[in-house]
Amino acid sequence: MPEDDFYTPTDVDALRMENELLAFEVSFLKARLSGTGKLLGSSHNSLSRVSHMEEAEQDMILLLRRLGSSPLAPLLRWRGNFRTLEERYLNTPEGQGSAERVAHLEAAEKDLVLLLQRLVRPPFGPLFRRRKSIRTLEERYL
Amino acid sequence: MGRVLASHKIDVRPVFYAGRYANRVRDAGLPGDYTVLDEWKVMPLALAGVLDEATVLVVLDMLSFPFEALDGNQWDVPLVVLLPTQLEPEVLDGMFGSPLFSRLGFFDRVATTDARLWDHLSRKYRWTASQYLWVEAVEPGAAALEIQSRLEKEDEVPTLFGGEGYEAIRYWKERGDALARTVPHRAICSVHHDLGFNKAMHRRQAAALEPQFAAARGVRADDVPFDVLEVGTGIGRWAATFDPLTDRFTGLDVSEGMVDAARTNFPEASFEHLGDDLLFPYEDESFDLVFTATVLHHNSTSAKRTLLSEMWRVTKPGGRLTFLEDFVAGAQSESSTVYPMSVLDFVDLVLETAAGRVTLEHVESIRYPQDDLARAGLISLAKLGTPRKW
Repeated sequence: MPEDDFYTPTDVDALRMENELLAFEVSFLKARLSGTGKLLGSSHNSLSRVSHMEEAEQDMILLLRRLGSSPLAPLLRWRGNFRTLEERYLNTPEGQGSAERVAHLEAAEKDLVLLLQRLVRPPFGPLFRRRKSIRTLEERYL
Repeated sequence: MGRVLASHKIDVRPVFYAGRYANRVRDAGLPGDYTVLDEWKVMPLALAGVLDEATVLVVLDMLSFPFEALDGNQWDVPLVVLLPTQLEPEVLDGMFGSPLFSRLGFFDRVATTDARLWDHLSRKYRWTASQYLWVEAVEPGAAALEIQSRLEKEDEVPTLFGGEGYEAIRYWKERGDALARTVPHRAICSVHHDLGFNKAMHRRQAAALEPQFAAARGVRADDVPFDVLEVGTGIGRWAATFDPLTDRFTGLDVSEGMVDAARTNFPEASFEHLGDDLLFPYEDESFDLVFTATVLHHNSTSAKRTLLSEMWRVTKPGGRLTFLEDFVAGAQSESSTVYPMSVLDFVDLVLETAAGRVTLEHVESIRYPQDDLARAGLISLAKLGTPRKW
């Protein structure tokens, strides 16, 4: 390779900072890829994690349907966050690639935890807790 | 109070495409050594050579210019287009909507004698007041002289603000107030470089930011607004990225001049002045997305800490915090306004401010077209926690 093809560093500090930035980006990408790989891999742990998240998604769909058909539905739908959850899990068609599917499942699990945390709080918490299904979900995810 | 210490003449090399009017434009006697192209000089190879050297391309004869032939990098040259007056707005829109009007961005300008035509097209394509270049002359030669004179004046820009030494709030107030009054479209990115440099930077930033904006928006019910806050909004260039029908964009800036210009540019969005204490005038958990674009790196660590703390406070749990900042120190100069901070130090600062209650969603390094090194980075975080209110 001719000599003038080499880049001559003039600012060591800038190079160090660029190196840190690129290394940080690479470590993020590696972590994301290995996370996705593990989730989509064939190991027992990965499969159980995926099945747990799929279960959470199913629970989320059932819970939203139940809440959406309850007498409290108009009150719940008055809040934008509830309408967003309905849009996200009841009205959006699937058809996602594997990476998007994993992201969707992870989001479903997080959203279910947040929804349950809201439901079991006052003022309606005691009312919801009278339902065995809510107590089961609470046990399972909280 | 500091003052503008000096001005800096940027090397401006506008190229005028006069097409069928080339003789008339040459006869008009543009002062200086300007390149005037006729309709034979826009064959791809010839045009590429000319655009490589141009800082602005002024198109005086839109009807004969091959906009479809411009490739990706050639769109980085800022455009000034003179709208033809002989066509109805609907006809003009039908001819140029897709190849030109929808591609004109914040760094391009539209020159016209017809305010009604400007109103019609600017509403449809969300062009801003800073993009409007009103000209008196209908005749292309005289219009070329008017545009050349405006460009010449605009590029004699002040570049040093805030008196001796660099103090961020004072500097950005003075810079914003001065530029918003005189050359608002220059008050973006780097004032020391020409518009082409800044337009190319903006394109690269947009390619990184827009997917993150979409990810933050996610799937929402149609009637649930997406609340967005930009800190250090300037004249509001990122507001154009959000749909006012579904998104509620709010911008904060320390310069009142900038805030006024942003309100003129985007009347449907909301812009507020940020006080010297850097405390945001919003309740906790008010926004789904809070972001900065090349703002924090101009501030000291203590100011960064205050801004990060406020950004975290007003973000809804589950919402996104996105930062596009320089994490690589550039060559230092007397006019430098950057406090170098490496990405690892920045992440430590964020974790400390948020007490670890964030998850990392995206990291991306950014190298601008003119740079040898990757200079900027985009970091997107999700705020953990349970919303206090439904």
